[in-house]
Amino acid sequence: MDVVDIFSYAWGGIKLRKLRAALTTLGIVIGIAAIVALLSLGEGFRIVITSQFERGFALDVLTVTAGRGLLANIITGSGSEEYLALNDTYTMNEIAGVRQATATLSKSIGISQGNKTYMVTAVGINFTEYSTIYSTSFQLEDGSMSLNPANDSIILGYRLHDPWKNGTILFNVGDYINLTWTTGSITKPIVKRYTFHVVGVLKEIGGISIFGPSDIQAYIPITTAQKIFETDQVSQIQVQLVSSEQETIDSVTNSIKNIYGDKVTVISPSAMLNTFSSILSTVQLLLAGLAGISLLVAGIGIMNIMIVSVIERTREIGILKSLGMKNKTVMTIFLCEAALIGLVGAAIGIVFGLGLSNFVTNFVFPLISTGTSQPNGQGNRVISNIVPVLTPTVCVGAFFFGIATSVLFALYPAWRASKLKPVEALRYE
Amino acid sequence: MAPVVQTINLHKTYMLGKVPVNALRGVDLEIESGDFVAIVGPSGSGKSTLLNLIGALDRPTEGKVIIDGVDVSTLNDDELAELRRRIGFVFQFFNLIPRLTASENVELPLAIAGVKKRQRKEKTSELLKAVGLSERAGHNPTELSGGEQQRVAIARALANEPRFLLLDEPTGNIDSKTADMLILLLRKLNEERGVTIIMITHDLNIAKQAKRIVRILDGRIIEETSNIAT
Repeated sequence: MDVVDIFSYAWGGIKLRKLRAALTTLGIVIGIAAIVALLSLGEGFRIVITSQFERGFALDVLTVTAGRGLLANIITGSGSEEYLALNDTYTMNEIAGVRQATATLSKSIGISQGNKTYMVTAVGINFTEYSTIYSTSFQLEDGSMSLNPANDSIILGYRLHDPWKNGTILFNVGDYINLTWTTGSITKPIVKRYTFHVVGVLKEIGGISIFGPSDIQAYIPITTAQKIFETDQVSQIQVQLVSSEQETIDSVTNSIKNIYGDKVTVISPSAMLNTFSSILSTVQLLLAGLAGISLLVAGIGIMNIMIVSVIERTREIGILKSLGMKNKTVMTIFLCEAALIGLVGAAIGIVFGLGLSNFVTNFVFPLISTGTSQPNGQGNRVISNIVPVLTPTVCVGAFFFGIATSVLFALYPAWRASKLKPVEALRYE
Repeated sequence: MAPVVQTINLHKTYMLGKVPVNALRGVDLEIESGDFVAIVGPSGSGKSTLLNLIGALDRPTEGKVIIDGVDVSTLNDDELAELRRRIGFVFQFFNLIPRLTASENVELPLAIAGVKKRQRKEKTSELLKAVGLSERAGHNPTELSGGEQQRVAIARALANEPRFLLLDEPTGNIDSKTADMLILLLRKLNEERGVTIIMITHDLNIAKQAKRIVRILDGRIIEETSNIAT
């Protein structure tokens, strides 16, 4: 019996019990739809997160912080004894492969307008060096940047200028703004006030910034920052490399480690991106695994139905055998029935899954991300930017996975059918 | 010339619950090509068991079934399946596949044997014409009368030009008038086409139409008569 005949015979068997076949198929549809929806949402999420990171990032910039890194400090419970100072940039500038190093000093401050105070991060920078290193993101929308800025100069991230994107301007170039910095102890806070002159507003960067420029930061000269924050330390040193190749990253990282030992932590954006990406992939895999459970249930459903079907069609199997059909052909017919159910189920499932993920991004996520009115709100923007992405791999994979599941769970019933003895099968009422 | 079917000291014992039943207790039978044999006996005499063994649907407990010179007991499942393509079965309850039309039912053994689509169609319509059912080709078995279903079953049995036809109580489920027509058809097939026919029946009037009558009782052949009247 050739393949076409086998398939058309199997199709006839499915058509005979339409409702039953439809319900069995529904199981596969749900399983595949769940997998496709979760994977395409996950992929969309990954793309948004990655692109948001990349927007603030410069891949050729290493970030050096004092101590063994944030996590180590939390675990050991001690702040870092060592610290980095402005002149450490000179040391790093000497390292081969370094184009330029610049120091930054970040503190949390309040910016007041009327009776409202917004908590933002003030970053002390060397305007010239910083804007060279982050030349793609640190660009002015308005105002001008002096190479020798006045001590009270401040450049604002875009969201401090136009947080709601509806024309309601918070601060503009030329404004004088009040900055408050709280020091002292919690019980005896000392609030210090300073006035700054807005000399520039940055273009919108978008994304989430970890080390690079961000829409929700305010930038002041680092010398001023050290003065008002009463410290000679710096928070980080940004080291721009001559290239973003892994070799350069590794050699400079090693050089820094050789000089400072364990007293500093060097973070490369690409390494962070990789770590983050692998975490997201793991999460995605976990989600797909959960969705896979529903496919497992569907598979058991297929097995159940097929066993019933084999029992019901015992006599038919006997007839086929009496007409000279071989065992393996009988088995193939039942496997084909399962494969057809899997094929239809998987195809519909993929469409449903894509529809489901689009429904979620279009109707469910907007409900979550409403009410974002704070200039420093970030997470909501990530959610509202997610567009489900169905990669060809996932699409083809889900398709064959659906078919494979159906066939796999039909193996036993089909084998049982093929092993029926013709005499007994024909005698079956 | 070697017989088409030969059984040698055929025994078949099967278990009915825990009780062994000796359905056949040594049957020796030879059927030549072109013969028309009726096997008669009361129910429980072992005639259906004999038919299953001759049709290679079952294996004997002891003894041999030789079809076309081949000892059936030496064949594996696949070889048995191929052998069955050369045997035309007609069952008491017709055993047509309900969801297929008359012509699809006739076509099925041809498809199983791997005959090409176009040849299948030609052969099918020729066979349906031979049994007088050309007009009913597109109908499902449920839309056909008992006699019509029986004729579809015969057309199906003839599809692969079998070495012999095996009929199990072919008149058991049809009225006497239809039965007479069926016998005429069988005789015509036997005489004009030379089809070897082996038929089980408990109806002596039907059996009398055969060339040879084999009586079976308690798993043994008790009498063989050649029917000179035909």
